[in-house]
Amino acid sequence: MRHYEIVFMVHPNQSEQVSSMVERYTNVITAAEGTVHRMEDWGRRQLAYPINNAHKAHYILMNIECGQETLDELDNMFRYNDAVLRNMVIRRKAAITDVSPIKAAEAREERRPRREDTRPKPEAETEEVAAPVAEEATAATAE
Amino acid sequence: MARFFRRRKFCRFTAEGTIEIDYKDLETLKGYVTETGKIVPSRITGTKARYQRQLATAIKRARFIALLPYTDNHQ
Repeated sequence: MRHYEIVFMVHPNQSEQVSSMVERYTNVITAAEGTVHRMEDWGRRQLAYPINNAHKAHYILMNIECGQETLDELDNMFRYNDAVLRNMVIRRKAAITDVSPIKAAEAREERRPRREDTRPKPEAETEEVAAPVAEEATAATAE
Repeated sequence: MARFFRRRKFCRFTAEGTIEIDYKDLETLKGYVTETGKIVPSRITGTKARYQRQLATAIKRARFIALLPYTDNHQ
């Protein structure tokens, strides 16, 4: 049993199939007594360059532990699935379970707009408070 | 004799004690490619050889899965 890291990209039009594909792959792995240590769905991402005329792709990251036959089988499944634009398998020394930088960045992006939503409110309040003072000030100068 | 002080180059990865450069860490990788997408040589960045090798593989992996461009000339 070795540790591998797999990234595969699914054509954006076949994005709905992703969950069933992941399920199928995990079944193949667990059936051969392997384990899935990390499963991340990065969602649809803009590609740095077009692949097969697609400009976006749905990314999936998996860290698995399995034998050679299972890996060969997975490789075959990737090859004969037209929805998979590209796949990359990397040998790893150990199981990696931490959140990847990409997923972490995504979570940060999601949090940012929420913070923006909360910020204008206090500003509006302070403006309301500040406005009468300013009016008073102008009134004072007028007098 | 013209004497100007260049800021001393240093290896970020050695300073931070990085164990492995991750191809998914785009923020870091983007600092080591030019606008045209080339890998910046270690003689410019001051990266230590050990990390420059890791960096090169990481960037190449990121390029393969289209996280980074190979060039700025992609159609």
